[in-house]
Order: sequence, then structure tokens, then C-alpha cells
Amino acid sequence: MTDGCPGTRQPWLVTAVWVALAGVAQAAPPRPAKVTCATCHRAEAQSQPGTAMGIGMELPANQEALQAHPKLTVEENGYHYNLERKNGAGTYTVSDASGALSLPIKYALGVHNLTFVLEYQGSFYESMVTYYQKIEGLGITMGDERIRPHNLTEAMGRKVSDQEIMACFNCHGTGGVSQGKLTLDSLRPGLTCDHCHTGADAHMQALAGGKPAPVPRKLGEMAAEEMSNFCGQCHRTWESVVGLRLFGEKNVRFQPYRLANSQCFLGDDKRIRCTACHNPHVDLVREDASYDRACLACHSATQKTCPVADKNCVSCHMPKVLAAETPALFTDHQIRVVHAGDPYPQ
Amino acid sequence: MLLRALILAAVLWTIAAPGLRAATFDELAAQAAAARRANHIPEAIELYRQGVQLRASWMEGWWFLGTLSYATYQYSGCESAFDAFVKLDDKRALAWSLLGLCEFETGKYDPALDHLRQGLALGKDLPPEVEAGVRFHYGLLLSRAGFFDQGKRELERYARGGAHEPMLIEGLGLNALHQPLLPKEAPAERVDAVMQAGTAARFWILGENDKAEAGFQELLRDYPAVAGGHYLYGTYLSYARPEDAMAEFRRELELNPANADAGAMLALLLVYANDLPGALPYARKAAAERPAYALTEYVYGKVLLAMGDLRPAIARLETAERLDPAALEYHMALAGAYSWAGRHEDARRERRLSMDMATGAKRPELNAQSARGGAPPPETIDKTIKQ
Repeated sequence: MTDGCPGTRQPWLVTAVWVALAGVAQAAPPRPAKVTCATCHRAEAQSQPGTAMGIGMELPANQEALQAHPKLTVEENGYHYNLERKNGAGTYTVSDASGALSLPIKYALGVHNLTFVLEYQGSFYESMVTYYQKIEGLGITMGDERIRPHNLTEAMGRKVSDQEIMACFNCHGTGGVSQGKLTLDSLRPGLTCDHCHTGADAHMQALAGGKPAPVPRKLGEMAAEEMSNFCGQCHRTWESVVGLRLFGEKNVRFQPYRLANSQCFLGDDKRIRCTACHNPHVDLVREDASYDRACLACHSATQKTCPVADKNCVSCHMPKVLAAETPALFTDHQIRVVHAGDPYPQ
Repeated sequence: MLLRALILAAVLWTIAAPGLRAATFDELAAQAAAARRANHIPEAIELYRQGVQLRASWMEGWWFLGTLSYATYQYSGCESAFDAFVKLDDKRALAWSLLGLCEFETGKYDPALDHLRQGLALGKDLPPEVEAGVRFHYGLLLSRAGFFDQGKRELERYARGGAHEPMLIEGLGLNALHQPLLPKEAPAERVDAVMQAGTAARFWILGENDKAEAGFQELLRDYPAVAGGHYLYGTYLSYARPEDAMAEFRRELELNPANADAGAMLALLLVYANDLPGALPYARKAAAERPAYALTEYVYGKVLLAMGDLRPAIARLETAERLDPAALEYHMALAGAYSWAGRHEDARRERRLSMDMATGAKRPELNAQSARGGAPPPETIDKTIKQ
């Protein structure tokens, strides 16, 4: 997103003139009928809702994986899991010889892999099993591999704290958290502009009201360290991963942490920041070659070059890794020279 | 008493051990050794005392004079013996540790803190029961000196080992309420509140959070204005319920405006909530009220860092790290600050150290420079328990 409307070099000046004129003239200045982010930032506003971050989660009416697979089952830790979709609603059931526990699936968090947030006896639970796109089926939820449930409730899912559930909804949706409290009645799936561009809503409303509009901070000013911390608010910062001692292959999904451990990570350099490779307004690009330009921004012909290849850098230097004992495959963002048989650098 | 008995058992073992029986060849030394082996302790002490008067460089004499004095509760004599011993050999962890323990008993708390630290720094070979006792006393002294976070870490280690004697509970309570006192210094009218705080803090350490939370609430019901009470509960709530934690810190500041810890923690939570304008005044005030204090320096540094004010942020974070090198958070924050500022080698060094600390490969100890001047100003210490 860029600040300023197309065709106006100083939109605040235009607005200020409007306001000044309004005080001396009967006729109000012309204004757009409804100002949205798309009014000025059309391309970003059109593409972003279709990205993984723009989708974020699926509510009952729109749970595509469950629509495509109306009955999913798996056996884990001696318990039987059964996810069924009927009449536009999903049900999550866990059972063993002692009985069964069935709960409605209200929130399916994620895009390609879906973990379910369940409500039971006034508390929230993270489902013990997750839908994984790679296997088109269910498996143990990432991070829960070591849990050995003792009863149906524990087998159903992991009880999460208020703070954790707020973090879930805050990163997968909009409007679900307000002033440190859950506000799920106003929850909308996915992240909207204001989530990253703090102040975008006020900026837009001010413009709509013909008032001087404070411009949200330009995130493009950030270099690598600051941006890693910014994106790490949801994708986990280096500090949070080390502080929580999330070591081993399970941390491959925490990209800011992995990137910061790279030898080529320079915190004051924009060429290694998240957006040097990823445009958050469009969906993830999966062709390895498309990232070569980012590598070559530093490793140009005049710098040290790779003795093996001159393209598809990430295919070797950012290997794909399974996250611990799950079928979820992630690109390891710890950029390095990988030798066959090397252990995973934690 | 149990703790002392354990230390004593280890000390008595060293008395009987042949390791330090360096050759002394005069008759007095032989008599002293014979008396010691025969368990004629008063006689042995007197003979060793005479021996070291004759020959001040007699290390074995000082050693046994010190250990026998400790075993018989003669702390003053023990202290002077080990003081002389460490001047002859400053590489023995047990000597520094016993010197510190004796000074603890004779009320020389500042040197006791230094000497226990020295013992622990050298003390890879300390018998486990002695190390536990040394760490416990070290934790009490750190708390008394106002190094509550550092003291808490030592007391936690001891509590996790299963200890639950009243002196530990009281020490935990004083530490949790940030009262810079030793258990024996706590005024009688405060003891009940301190014990309640210590009991709840111990449950928290052991991960029994339901009991801990009930304990904190009971403490605040019984002593709603106890200094440090709302700070303690706020700290407990910080991770899971930060909004509630902030309310507790604000309540603490209403009751005790000079509580810099509460101000610093409130500022930290506001940073995490991306409320930098809200955080800045609290962080600045806390750092001004308690300068050269690790927590306030760290939080002010974090706020400045979040604002992109790198140079002063790094200076604050470096101070925090120097004051409390065993705090992982300070190293991690400093790594990020260095990285942001383009100090790449410094950032990598701090990141490596942080990883080593997080995985347990390294455990930096409090250094001599940091173990001084940490006590909070007197106005932050409550004078009475308000009902």
C-alpha cells in the first residue's frame, strides 16, 4: 500500500483546501460517495483478500476442506476422530470405548491446513487433530505431538489460555479482539488493511469526511530486523521462539526466527527483509526461480557466486522441511549452504 | 535447620577427608590432627588456633579451624579462619562458600553476598547439598540487596528441589513482594502476609497455578494494601491475562507510586500492546526512580527500541545485561537492537549466547559489579501492613 491518492501529490493539501473552502462557501467540496482503501490503493485492495493472510480462517458456511471431504476420520493415541459436514455445518467428534464427545466446528483456522477452535464448557480448545492438505486428511496438530491424552476431553483438544486464544483470533481474523477481550460477534475472517497499516481506517474515514488524513506509517521504511519483528507478531519473532525454547524441526514454521539465524541476515539491510521476497498483497509465489532476483540483489556477479547453479537458489539453500512429526511441509528460511546429512540447525 | 544439617554433613566430610592434610610437621599440628580425628572438637580448635598463630601461612590449619568452627556454630571464628584461608588460596569454592555462609550468620551481608557469588563462580566441584545451601542463602541476600529477579531464580531452584521449610517460604514471600529484607529482619506484623505471598509464589514455581492464583487472591483479600501485593499478582497474570495484569500494576502504583518495578512492568505490557506513547512515561519514570537497576533499564531500553531510538536503547539494554547477565531476555533484546543498528557481529554474538542460555549450555552468573547498589529507595518499602 502506498500513501497518497493516484494523481494527487499531496492529498492532505487538497483535503485542507476543501476544509478551508467549506468555511467560506455554501457548497461543500465534492467527495467520493464511499471511501475505502480500494479508492486509492486499488491493486492491493483487490488482491489481498484472496491471499492466505486475507483468508486467515474459515467460518462454518465456508469451510471448503470439509465441503470437499464431508467425512474425515483418523485414529490417534487410541482415540477415534471423526469430522463430518452435514447441512452446512461441521461436527468434530472424538470417541473411545468409554463414549464420545461431539462439538460443532465454528472456527477453522488456516488456509491450506486447518486447525479447529472448539468451545467446551466455557473454554476454548485447539483441536488435537488438524486437516492437512498434503495428505488430504487428518493428523495430530503441530505442536501437540507429545501430548498423551488421558480422557475424551484431553483427546478432543488442548485447552488454551485467554491470551493464546486472543492471539489466534487476532492473527487469523479481524475484529475478534478488542481492548484485550474477545469480541467474536464482530469477528471477520482474515486480515484487513488496518491490521498491518495501523491507522488506515482513521486515514480513510478522515478522507471520507473531508478532513486532513493522517497517513499510516510506511512499512516500506523498515529494514530486516524491524520487519522481522513486525511480521513476527504473528509468524513468531526470534525472541519469542528462543524465549519459549521452541527448538527442533517444529520451529521451521517460524520464518522470522529462521531467517534471523541465517549468516546473510543483516538487520539494517532491506534486501533481506520479509518483503524483499514476499509481497503480502498477493498470494505466495511458489516458483523457486521467482526468488532468484532477491538472492542476486546481494550475490551479484561481482560478489561470491554459487559454484553449483545460477538459478533456483532457494531449491538448495532453503530446503523444504517437514514440521516435526506432521505432514506439513515448510520452506526453511535459515538460508545456508546445505550438505547432505547435515542435522537440522535448531 | 535441615538445610544447615545438610551443609554440616558435607563440611564434616571435608574435615575427615585427607585431601587438605598438607604436611605440617611440628608437634602442635600433629596434636591438632589427632584431636580432630578423635572428634575432640574444642581441643582441636584450640590447637589449630595456636598453630596458625605460630605459622600464619599454614593453610591446613586455617582450613580445619574454619570447618570445625562452622560445625560448632562459632561463626565469627569460622569467618576469620576462612578469610585468612582465601588470602592464601583463592581458588577453593568451598572456602569462599563457607566464608560467605559465616558472614551471613554474623550479619556481614554485603561481603557475604560477594563471597557466596565467588564460591558459586568457582563451584563446579561443590557438593550438591552445599551448593543448594549456598544458592539458597545467595538468593536471600540478592533479594535483600534489591536484586529480586536474580534472587528469585536462586530461590526457585531451591524450591523446585522440593524444599518447603518456613524460612524458604518467608524468603520467597519477601522476594515476591519485593521487600529487601531477610526473613529474620521481617517485622512481626508483616510475617503473615509474607508467608501467604511465599506460599502462593511456591505454588507458582511448581506450576500449580490454580493454587497459586487462589493464594494471590487470598493475600489481596486479607491484605489489600500490602506493598508489592498487586505487583506480584500482576506479574503472575502478565502472560495469560495482560489486561488484568496491567490493572494490577496500576493498582500497585496507586498504593505505592514509587514502586518502579510496577511502573516498569506496566510499561513493558504496553509495549507488547503496541501502545508506545502510553509506555514511554512509565518506563522513563521507573528508570529515573531506580537507576542502575536491570529491570527498569531493560524496559526503558525496550520502549526506546520499539520507538526506533537505537543508540539510547542499546545503552540501556547493555546496562541491563551488565547488571543481570543471567537474564535471557536482556541478551535477546540486545541481540535484536544490535541487529537493527547494523552491529552484525555483536548481534550474532548475543544471539549465540542467548541460544546457549536457552538450551542450558551456558549460565552466566551475576558478576561482582552488578551485585552492588541494587536496593530500592526506602520509600518503596512499606512500613506497616495495612489491613
